[in-house]
Parts: sequence; C-alpha cells; structure tokens
Amino acid sequence: MSNPPLEIMIVPCSGIGKPYGTISRVTAYQVTEDDRPELTRLVPLALLVMGDEESVRIVAENPTITIDGCTQACATKNVQQSGGRVVRNFAVLEAFRRHRDLKPQGIAELNEDGEKLAVALAQEIVAEVDALATSGDGGKHA
Amino acid sequence: MNDFLETTIDKFTFRVDPSCHYSTEGIWVRVENGRARLGLSDFLQQRSGDIAFIDVQPAGTILAPDEEFASIETVKANVMLASPVSGTVIQVNPALETRPEVINQEPFGDGWVCEVALSDWDVDRQCLLDANAYFDKMKQEATEAHQS
Repeated sequence: MSNPPLEIMIVPCSGIGKPYGTISRVTAYQVTEDDRPELTRLVPLALLVMGDEESVRIVAENPTITIDGCTQACATKNVQQSGGRVVRNFAVLEAFRRHRDLKPQGIAELNEDGEKLAVALAQEIVAEVDALATSGDGGKHA
Repeated sequence: MNDFLETTIDKFTFRVDPSCHYSTEGIWVRVENGRARLGLSDFLQQRSGDIAFIDVQPAGTILAPDEEFASIETVKANVMLASPVSGTVIQVNPALETRPEVINQEPFGDGWVCEVALSDWDVDRQCLLDANAYFDKMKQEATEAHQS
C-alpha cells in the first residue's frame, strides 16, 4: 500500500499594521493558491491561536512551513506550542535583507516592491516544498 | 545591572537606562574613561521598527555634534542618526554586520552602535538630557503618538 500524498502546511504571520505581516500572507497565498496548490495548504495562524481543533490536528500531523513577519516569530512559536512540527521557517525581514533594492510599503495593499518581495519569497518556499515532496519524508530528516 | 526607568503606554513598554545621557532625538551616550558608547534608546528603536540595515561611519571618522554617525533602514522608514557628541569613531559594533536586529532586542546592551573617543565632552554634555529628563520627554512623545 502506498503512502498518502504529502501535504505541507503553510502558516504565515497574522500581524497587522506593518508591511511585513501583509507580505507574509501574500506570500502564503502565492504558494498555496498559485504555485503549489496540490502540495500545500494554508492554515491561518489565528485559528491555531484560538485552538481550532482541525487546525491544531493538521499541523500536528503534517510538516509545516512558517512565514514570520518580524523577529518575534509568532507563527513559528505558535505552531510549536500547538504541537506542530516546523520543518522550515522563513522570515520576511530576512527576505527584505536579501533584496535591499526593493522598498516594500503598504499595509492593506502592498506596493509593487512589496508584491515583488512576496513573489521572491514564494519562490524560495516553493523550492523548499519541492525538496520536501521529492524526499517524501516530510522533512523528518531535515 | 541597571534598574531601568520604565513606562507602559497601551501595549508598549519603554525603558530608559539611568546610566546614560540622551539627545532629544533618542540617541543614548554612555561615557567611560574618555570614550563614549552610542546607541538607540528603547523608544527610538521601537518607533523606528525592525531594523533591516544599518550603515555606521567607519572607525577614524571625525564627528561633530549633529553630524550623521549612522543611518538605519526599516520597512517603515530610513532614519538618519545624529551624533550627540564630538570626537572620533574608534569602533563599530561588529555584531551589527550580521545581526542588526540586536538593536531591537537589546538597545542598551549588545545593540550599541559605535564607540567614540570624545574630544569635548564637557561642552557636549551640556546639550544632552539626563535620564530623568529624557524619560519625561519620551513619555510625552509616546503618549502623543498613541493619541494621534
């Protein structure tokens, strides 16, 4: 009997009021809806924090990639506190440092540079998703 | 360890190190043996946001008061930091090269920015605020920012 297909949970920052949080969510949508919908599923951080049973269950049972907006790393910390297994975390602040030419702005709606940074970060996450899918072990040996 | 002066406004807590002098813009100065260590106050770093980049004038740079000794870039803003003292930069915090966020994490400790060999401290300090005066000014600014 073959193993069920691997599904990777994507949990972005839920912060509001700063572009970092918005970029993390736009990135998550890019990965889960456009780039790798067959391999990933978006889990809202707010549901985990509220203790939503289904959200807690799926992050406990599947490998999870977190996208933190800032250095407080709320997404990563809350997944871990929920009993989830973070196989890789990405930080928007670090992505910003790798793309100093971009000047992201906007909170409700990102400017063009913000959108570009989200796409660039999404590409990094897609590469990680593909690596996990290829290895087939959900990052157990990462 | 210093007992910080501390105030909480809404969900934000701001601390002031009583061992430092301060410029009105929120640059702290800690003097020891003719050298001054400079850094950003807790209020200034929180108001500026997560620091992505910092550029600091290199060792050997001669500073006059109000001249730029560093600049920071956050996703919110680019902020020029004006020197509160005159002298020569003798060391830049090496930790900032790879971890500028240390300023946000420990603004009065490991997040110091640079050290300056002072040339006219007796004059410079007359233009600076002591910790209590800066604490009062900072509280007023923070309250006004919260209400706006």
